[in-house]
Amino acid sequence: MKIKKDEVGWLLLFITPTLILFTLFFILPILFLLASSFTNWDGIDAEFVGFENYIKLFNKKSFVRAITNNLYWCITAALITVPLGLIIALLLSHRSRGWKVFRTVLFVPQVVSSAAIAMLWAAVFNAEYGLLNFILDNIGLSDYKNHNWLGNVRTANAALIGFSLCYVGYFMVIMLAKTASISEDYYDAAKIDGASQIQKDFYITAPLIKSTFFLCIILAVIFNLRQFEYVYLMTAGGPANKTQVLVVYIWNELTVQRLGRGSAAGVIMIALGAMLLLLLRRILKSETYN
Amino acid sequence: MIKLILKKLSITFIAISFTVISSVASAEITITWPSIWVGKDSKTTVIGELIDEFNAANAGSIKVVVEEQTDYDIYAQKLTAQIATGELPDIMTVGAQLLDVLHRSGKAMDLAPHINSDPHWNNVYPENALQSAMTDGVLSALPYELFVTPVTYNKKILKEAGYEEFPDNYDDFFKMCEAVTANGKVCTSQMTGKNGWTSMLWYSQALASAGGPDIYEKGLDHPAYVKAFEVMEKMYQYTTSDAIGADAGVSGGHFLNERTAVFMNGPWFIARYTSDGIPGLHENIGVAAAPMLMGGEGSPGGYVGGRQSSLAAGKQSDPAKEEAIVKFLKWLTIPENVARLSSSSGAMFIVNADLPNDMDRLFIEMKQGISDAPYVAPIFQNGIGSLAIASEFPQALSALALGDVTPEGAVEMLQDAE
Repeated sequence: MKIKKDEVGWLLLFITPTLILFTLFFILPILFLLASSFTNWDGIDAEFVGFENYIKLFNKKSFVRAITNNLYWCITAALITVPLGLIIALLLSHRSRGWKVFRTVLFVPQVVSSAAIAMLWAAVFNAEYGLLNFILDNIGLSDYKNHNWLGNVRTANAALIGFSLCYVGYFMVIMLAKTASISEDYYDAAKIDGASQIQKDFYITAPLIKSTFFLCIILAVIFNLRQFEYVYLMTAGGPANKTQVLVVYIWNELTVQRLGRGSAAGVIMIALGAMLLLLLRRILKSETYN
Repeated sequence: MIKLILKKLSITFIAISFTVISSVASAEITITWPSIWVGKDSKTTVIGELIDEFNAANAGSIKVVVEEQTDYDIYAQKLTAQIATGELPDIMTVGAQLLDVLHRSGKAMDLAPHINSDPHWNNVYPENALQSAMTDGVLSALPYELFVTPVTYNKKILKEAGYEEFPDNYDDFFKMCEAVTANGKVCTSQMTGKNGWTSMLWYSQALASAGGPDIYEKGLDHPAYVKAFEVMEKMYQYTTSDAIGADAGVSGGHFLNERTAVFMNGPWFIARYTSDGIPGLHENIGVAAAPMLMGGEGSPGGYVGGRQSSLAAGKQSDPAKEEAIVKFLKWLTIPENVARLSSSSGAMFIVNADLPNDMDRLFIEMKQGISDAPYVAPIFQNGIGSLAIASEFPQALSALALGDVTPEGAVEMLQDAE
């Protein structure tokens, strides 16, 4: 669309407020983050230290682990949570008896405070009184009677990421909403051709909600890249930094007043996020996800 | 039209006038205090009473408003951020590890001029207590709460395991733990969650025992740091299965419910043995100095502890508000009020206060322990002098407890944090 000359003034008038807000609350903080990442700012004094913060970060095992763990979170979300949401959305799109109840139940974790959910799951995983160990013990798996799920290096990450599957409902609802917009004509035509329900799901519904599916993957990756509250509240990055993630790592740097290094970690996180999104865009090759 | 405009202008004028008059008339100064002495804290009741009494006595002129902060770690993190941004609250409770940063920030009210202008604080504080808290003549925080952390143990559980006395060295201590375990109980309460508080106290004891009370001046290369981690490694063989990742509530909860035999915390926990412990727990508790490491540089009966909380205030531009804050701080340091606080909670304070004769038995035993102690060494969190190392301690400890690193590896983790 070509913009007429006399429309430019109006265009600027409407864009300017957003542009100012975007610059104030997004561009400037990023520039500040970038500038402070080259200093040893401790909240009081700051000196220019060049790339020292970045070098130290990449030499720290716990920081590299934080990046790796974030990638685990993202991959799990993209390969398990969102596809699971798709399967459930396809099943619920049949509008079978009780589908609204299932939809509501699966969406409930979204409306409950994440802090409350984290506390609840920490109690479920508790080694001494946790519900999970109680169940395992009662079905004959007595080896797990006092297993510390969140305090064991082998199970802490799996336990954290595993319970995050509760959030499948969020993506399910987005994809389910999209299925509602598909014209019934396609299904009627498929019915005349003798297509089964599974064929309808996979050859009509799934392709038509592909763009929404891709959008969900991108959202899931973004959400999991900035994973904070569950890790912070349930393990605080422990045991032995094994469940460390980037935002918790940044938080820890800030609390020990290494704000310069925390800023460097923040810059790396932004760069990682941008790279992941570009990569996803390339892999998904979709122009409609945004 | 003109009538309408005049009418609207008159209403606006009257409204503005009322606002100005009411704000001038109600010249009450509000002091905000984000306080950790709320909720389950043993000082909650008396601190609440003291604030109510102060507000009643200064009705219309000063009002202290408490913002409840129930999580100590989050409170410290919030303060750290506030110090960095220069947005300090009117009054705050500062832990020893933040005192240096608070002073360097220059955002805290300097209380030194108020010491000279009124004899109150010089009268109620022990000699040199205030002077030693000053840096370059500036008093950024008023020393307030003291602590020591002896071992508290359940005499009933130890007796069932065949022990009448608490062991004075770690060899005997771990033999006792074997006996307690064989008897179906758990020996120690440990934790690695948050700042690893109760385990950090054990580590501090072992550290002072191995390297002497001046261990923090010797640097992380000193072998005492490894030796103390060796003690902790063993300690985790005799603790509850949820110790890794557990917070102070879990660690203390096991002892309060007689699931563990030995626990280490400050005197402020005394009141909770009665209020939150199972019936009869308080009578069964004994107090002892921590065991010694054979061949260590520490001395038998040595304690760890030091300054716990200090009272500080944000710098004020309004002299009237500064005076109001100082008035409230003086109220908190009146010996009678301190005695009430100490009596109800078991906490110890620096202010000279005549404590009642019926103080808790455990408090008296702890006080006696301090008097007899050859030294009171700083705890690791305060003595190490680095927020980053103190913050890495729980991760190093959990790695050690899980067999992920050796004691030497745990020390390397601490060195790496710096």
